[in-house]
Amino acid sequence: MTKKSFTLLLSSLLTFSMLTAACGNSNNGNEAAATKDPGTSGGNTTTAATKEPAPEPEKPTEIKIMLPLNTAETPPDTIKTELEKLTNTKLTYQFFPADTYEEKLNSSFATGSLPQVTYLKNQTTFVQMREAIKDGQFWEIGPLLSEFPNLNKLKPEILNNTKVDGKLYSLYIGRPLARQGIIYRKDWADKLGLQAPANLDELFAMAQAFTEKDPDGNGKKDTIGIVDRNELVYGAYKTVSAWFGTPNTWGEKDGQLAPDFTFPQYIDTMDFFKKLRDGGYMNKDFAATSKTDAVNMFVSGKAGLYIGGSMQDIDTLNKDLIKNFPDAVLDTHSMVAGPDGKFAQWMIPGYNNVVLFPKSAVKDEAELKLILGFFDKMMTPEVSNLMYWGIEGTHYTVEDGKAKPTDNKELIEREVKGYKDSVIGEAETNGMYLSYNVLPGRIHAEELILENVKVGVADPTAALDSATYTSKGVELQQIITDATYNYIYGQLDKAGFEKEVEAWKSRGGAAIIEEYNAVYKK
Amino acid sequence: MQDVTAQPGTVSKLKPKRYKSSSELKKRLWRNKYLYVMLIPGILFFVLFKYLPMYGLIISFQDYKPYQGITGSEWVGMEHFKRLFTEPDFIKILGNTLILFAMNILLYFPVPIILALMLNELRGTFFKRFFQTLVYLPHFMSWVIIVSITYVMVTMDGGIINELLSYFGFEQVNFLLNPGWFRPMYILQIIWREAGWGTIIYLASIAAIDPGLYEAARMDGAGRMRQIWHITLPAIRSVIITLLILKIGSVLDLGFEHVYLMLNSMNRNVAEIIDTYVYTAGLRQGQFSYSTAIGFFKSIIGLIMVMSVNKLSKKMGEEGVY
Repeated sequence: MTKKSFTLLLSSLLTFSMLTAACGNSNNGNEAAATKDPGTSGGNTTTAATKEPAPEPEKPTEIKIMLPLNTAETPPDTIKTELEKLTNTKLTYQFFPADTYEEKLNSSFATGSLPQVTYLKNQTTFVQMREAIKDGQFWEIGPLLSEFPNLNKLKPEILNNTKVDGKLYSLYIGRPLARQGIIYRKDWADKLGLQAPANLDELFAMAQAFTEKDPDGNGKKDTIGIVDRNELVYGAYKTVSAWFGTPNTWGEKDGQLAPDFTFPQYIDTMDFFKKLRDGGYMNKDFAATSKTDAVNMFVSGKAGLYIGGSMQDIDTLNKDLIKNFPDAVLDTHSMVAGPDGKFAQWMIPGYNNVVLFPKSAVKDEAELKLILGFFDKMMTPEVSNLMYWGIEGTHYTVEDGKAKPTDNKELIEREVKGYKDSVIGEAETNGMYLSYNVLPGRIHAEELILENVKVGVADPTAALDSATYTSKGVELQQIITDATYNYIYGQLDKAGFEKEVEAWKSRGGAAIIEEYNAVYKK
Repeated sequence: MQDVTAQPGTVSKLKPKRYKSSSELKKRLWRNKYLYVMLIPGILFFVLFKYLPMYGLIISFQDYKPYQGITGSEWVGMEHFKRLFTEPDFIKILGNTLILFAMNILLYFPVPIILALMLNELRGTFFKRFFQTLVYLPHFMSWVIIVSITYVMVTMDGGIINELLSYFGFEQVNFLLNPGWFRPMYILQIIWREAGWGTIIYLASIAAIDPGLYEAARMDGAGRMRQIWHITLPAIRSVIITLLILKIGSVLDLGFEHVYLMLNSMNRNVAEIIDTYVYTAGLRQGQFSYSTAIGFFKSIIGLIMVMSVNKLSKKMGEEGVY
């Protein structure tokens, strides 16, 4: 009897694992994904679809919106109901998990079922969509913006970064241009009599002191300076490299655009990290360390400096750190002078994501204007606060003219987060509340983020197009990433690194340089 | 079957066994109706998830654009295959894939058999059950967890193994980033995770062996080792061969997730395999046609391997899988 039921259990387990394996395997399972959608998007899709489009202007505009969801569950209608009242709309939100959003985007696109308002996932999906945009699949909105007073406030320099072939097709979700910097153990620095590093030598000295001078005072040499992870862009590397004066991804050299790794400052940065690693002043396995492991090392008191990412991370780092060390004090810092005494910070193009309006769903310009009208209202303080912070009194309170989120983080996560990531513009343009911070390090971080922009270095290729980059860029960049790590770990010397750069050029890099320069001149 | 066609006379002898009329066939079908109903999910599964997606292979000969669809995209012939074969790293990637595969067959495949034989020799139901459960468990952990556990154990930044090494005065070893350690760690992780689970089928077929054979052998004075060698192993021989053929069918499926999690910039030379290459070169950049072409190439190699091994096993007098 027991044997029989065991076999049954076993066979059902096997069947189940086969099924899951099949789902995971099907790279070309677009059809399968597409058929699944109606279920995921819930019942409200059908109810909205069956209603006739509104003939009279007083009737609410019906808009279908597809966007990535960064939480586990679809939010309830609390925010949506308020939003509809404020904007006179009938909204249908289709949330899809951010992890698989690209697949969803591609399959909806392939089947022509994108809704009127389509959020992409990030810059990368935007670059991939460029070809389709050029192909005329989406509405151009540039000439219409001036008709909308609030949308017209969007920052022109960021709008410029989202243009395709010089035309504007999208609205952007704003992010601070340069959030990166150092989060460090101020209590350790104070104990050793150190100031926040003013230049790269002092940064190195601090990493060294944190490693060798027993900052936690337990009599053991069990701490390190910098903790980094397997990520050259959002880890410590790119931030430090900007301090050295390396251009942001691409820079001008003899009047021509050239990639950052062909600049001598890039080599200087590699030498800096090589010295750090050889001396044991950073985690030895950083090339294989995940973000989670890096964060764990920091909050468990093993490391004193966390560089890169966002200085706003100080809130979460602090929360976990003081659980282990109630006396620990964190602070942020970002102004580290390069060898020539100059400050520099690399900048992102100022947006996190964009919204597109597919021609397959938006019939004519009149409909497009109705939809843009909704976004125009979204850019008022009233609506953007509702979407970003939630309902006043329930999800946040106002203190000193700033929003202070409630302590019930789960409530915000469940009801507000889904909408938060879709707010167009940023506080400067849509007038929503800034966040009310209590942690001194975080307040300092917000000041530094504003300072960073003053010495910010932009990526000149952000709005440029290169066919070779679109098809092979990621693959080619891998060559350089690998070579950089190999150099830092002493497996490659300078000549070896340059050989890899030549390999990059011969396998398509030369074409990328040529294509970028051809459009750059224009 | 060959005999049947060779001698026409036998055909007529066989005839009575076939169904004389369609009514008899119907009756037969009706009698086994539940078995046929149970067949339906299986057929549906293969049609939906295995045969229909094959339609998508078309895009490996196209310059596939999602908004133009399969019908609207431009045909480019073998271009994507040419790109793959002329890729400077192609030989290296194929080589890495084949080496990991060979290690799988040589080092991993025998382990469940040996383990099953060992478990079978355990006396006492409690111990047997206990050890069986113990070796099954790792199978239910995801690769993410297994790779993370490995990281925590072997990292040079306070990992227990390196701490022990330096405690006993040895030099620390860079397990994670040294290309030389990738393959041993890969195969050890597979053995740890899968060996126990792999014993299930062997144990089941061992359980089906007639106990009388063992009694007879004992009467003749055969020891434990003799019994294993002359009774147990020959009895599960066909199971071993069937599983080997199936294993070879997935020749280039080495577990994307597992390798991808272990892969880093320092060990890429030995760790990049076809699956991870498909991910970086194809999917991460939205090159659907190219990645489909690579997947297609992989499946063809798998098919050729299965067919040849199947033939070989038939020649050796064993049953194949088809």
